Amino acid sequence: MSILEGLKFYAGDTAIHKLDPRVKFLVSMLMLIIVVMYAEVWMLTVLIAVQAVIVYIAKVMRRWLKTIKGSMPLAALVFGLNAIFFISTGTYATLQEVFYHSIALAYRLVLFLSSFSIFFLTTTPEEIGLTLTSWRVPYPYTFAFISAIRFTPIIAQELRDIMDAQRARGVELDRGGLLQRAKKLIPILVPLLANALRRAYELAEAMEVKCFGAAKKRTSLRELKAGPKDYAVLLTVLVLFSLAVYYRFFPF
Amino acid sequence: MEIVRIEGLTFTYSGFDTPALSDINLSVEEGEFVLLLGPSGCGKSTLCRCLNGLIPHFYTGKMEGKVLVAGMDVSKTPTYVLSQYVGMVFQNPENQLFSLTVENDVAFALENLGMPRDEIRRRVDFALKAVGIEELRKRSPFELSGGQQQKVAIASILALMPKLMVFDEPTSSLDPVSAKSIIETILKIRKEFGTSVIVAEHRVELLADKVDRVVVMHKGRIVKDGSPREVFVSEEMIPYGVPVPKVVSMAKGVNKYFRVFNEIPLSSEEFEQGIRRFLHDKVR
Amino acid sequence: MIKFDNVTYVYPTGVKALDGVSVEIGRGELVAIMGENGAGKTTFIKHLNGLLKPTSGSVYVDGKNTKTLSVAQLSKIVGVVFQNADDMFFLPTVEEEVAFSLRNLGFSEEVVQKRVDWALNFMELEEYRKRSPFLLSGGEKKRLALAIILAWNPQVIAMDEPTVGQDSLQKEKLKEMIKQLNLQERTVIISTHDVEFVAELKPRVILMSRGRIVADGKADVILTDGELLSNCSILMPQVAATMSRLADLGFNAKVISVEEAVRNIVEGLMRFEHIRGA
Repeated sequence: MSILEGLKFYAGDTAIHKLDPRVKFLVSMLMLIIVVMYAEVWMLTVLIAVQAVIVYIAKVMRRWLKTIKGSMPLAALVFGLNAIFFISTGTYATLQEVFYHSIALAYRLVLFLSSFSIFFLTTTPEEIGLTLTSWRVPYPYTFAFISAIRFTPIIAQELRDIMDAQRARGVELDRGGLLQRAKKLIPILVPLLANALRRAYELAEAMEVKCFGAAKKRTSLRELKAGPKDYAVLLTVLVLFSLAVYYRFFPF
Repeated sequence: MEIVRIEGLTFTYSGFDTPALSDINLSVEEGEFVLLLGPSGCGKSTLCRCLNGLIPHFYTGKMEGKVLVAGMDVSKTPTYVLSQYVGMVFQNPENQLFSLTVENDVAFALENLGMPRDEIRRRVDFALKAVGIEELRKRSPFELSGGQQQKVAIASILALMPKLMVFDEPTSSLDPVSAKSIIETILKIRKEFGTSVIVAEHRVELLADKVDRVVVMHKGRIVKDGSPREVFVSEEMIPYGVPVPKVVSMAKGVNKYFRVFNEIPLSSEEFEQGIRRFLHDKVR
Repeated sequence: MIKFDNVTYVYPTGVKALDGVSVEIGRGELVAIMGENGAGKTTFIKHLNGLLKPTSGSVYVDGKNTKTLSVAQLSKIVGVVFQNADDMFFLPTVEEEVAFSLRNLGFSEEVVQKRVDWALNFMELEEYRKRSPFLLSGGEKKRLALAIILAWNPQVIAMDEPTVGQDSLQKEKLKEMIKQLNLQERTVIISTHDVEFVAELKPRVILMSRGRIVADGKADVILTDGELLSNCSILMPQVAATMSRLADLGFNAKVISVEEAVRNIVEGLMRFEHIRGA
């Protein structure tokens, strides 16, 4: 699934990567708000252009484009459904207007994904964990989040192994009607669940041995420190954002 | 000084009728290197877990007798205190690593204890260097090989600077080359820091000549506690499924014809030395 | 029975796991596939029952190209036992697990019953018949995995790392069982890095490295070749390692079993006795 390509975590060495992840997160959020505020194609295009520049600096153009490409089917669906809706309810007088507004909606969907994509492409999972900690999210939640990221590829591999093992016993996973295929999920899900529980037990043991929960106040090896560059970027973005908001309500 | 002292330990897991451990008596001096042997289900793992408080705090059950580790009564001391004296490394490296970078994993336990940052940093540097994995510092555990992951697990326990390290089948899921590397890491730690070590293992070839003592378990009891030579050379241990290093079998076979070995060798080196010494004496 | 004809396999991630592998394994042979992690052993095994089909080249099982058959069809001929037995279990009792595959492969109910009885007996699991597979010990689980596969009597049995996590008694049992199967003229292929186990079995050894076959021959020839083994990150079995230390004294370094080593040393020492006596 190429949409997921653009959401996978990726580390690098560009100026964008080195920015404080909290700033990046905020930037993504602000971009999202603008997408919500504006339905005009020209503004959305400005936004995409800005994103393209950022992506270019961060050298993740190819993957970012993959997300956009991957979201095309969904965008087309949104376009189609909305066009039909507008036409059938007669919301707009001319066909031109219907097209314009349907495209704008599809465009916004794409921008939604692309805004998030930038964040994930340039931020490591570790940094995301640190962000949560710096925002005083209680440690158990951060830990759950990090564990989910840490173990997802492992569980994914396990799923493949289970499917192989069951196929080698004559279970034909790719054949059969909907009901049959649903039944065939059982020999896949039961071992997966059993393994997950077993793994959870072993992990709990290791956590115990590593004093999890011992201290009321947990310290950390690394901590996020925002530098002058980060503040500069934050300031710039806030100014631009304020302009965009102002323009929305007081167009000049 | 005794680092482990177990007297009359009998333990039955909750919900089970038969005890997993029966009348265990064990004393380990500081600095000793003990090998724990026995077939699956003999109680090795259970015994290991009694040493750092997982039993009885994490695994409930009926516990009789006394277990003292570094002078502390295991049943009365919380695990997070015991963990600073007794470190434990488990069989599956994958399920001991939690973080997204090696460095964070090594720091994990220290962070949990609320240590100040510079102390954490110092210990992480120390542990990475001691285990020899400094170049893996920023890597993600997922991309490491099994052997490397296990080394990270060892480093993360070493960071707590325990006096005793317990390894529960640390090389079971590794290939022979990685297994050898892990054993060498354990030996290095022992040599540099004098840490007491208890290892439950099947791969005797790599350890026979390196350990001070071998404890053989069977059905929850200790059936033999002696020097490696006593355990591997005597015939009485065979029914207990004690794996015998090949050189021991070879030496016994040769000794039937020629009195080559006064002391049965426990490693390839000792075997070679024995043969050469024999020939040297003969030639003279 | 099994033929790999210039097989190359590239994973979707781009990793080339098999690179021009050509080999033939005859009916009734006992073969050990060895090599370090990532050498391609597991990929090789997965080609035997069609879980993976070659990117280029072909794999033939009993004369048929694997590309023309489904995994289920190939599994009837080639039973593959994977390393992690836990990946299979999902039914309430041991006997149902064994019966499950038989039913999947289309056997009639009475044949299923007979086969279940036979398999549980052969793997010494009769006493656990009604027990839940989840409550078995590690060694028993491995035996069950084997019983499940053996139940439908495949001509070829392939095992991926059968000795991992097993104690010496369990390994002895496994050795006996493999020998038994071989006596019954089944082709047995094990992928493993357990050199000591292989040294005791003395099968034909196919050594792989980086997706290629670098050696193919008798166990005592390959497992005593120090240079070859170290290039493939494999440790020499202790007997061979010990004998190679004594090579300069005229002892034969090409032995892997304890009995041969003892015989060799004793004969050598007698020679020395002779010289001294003379």
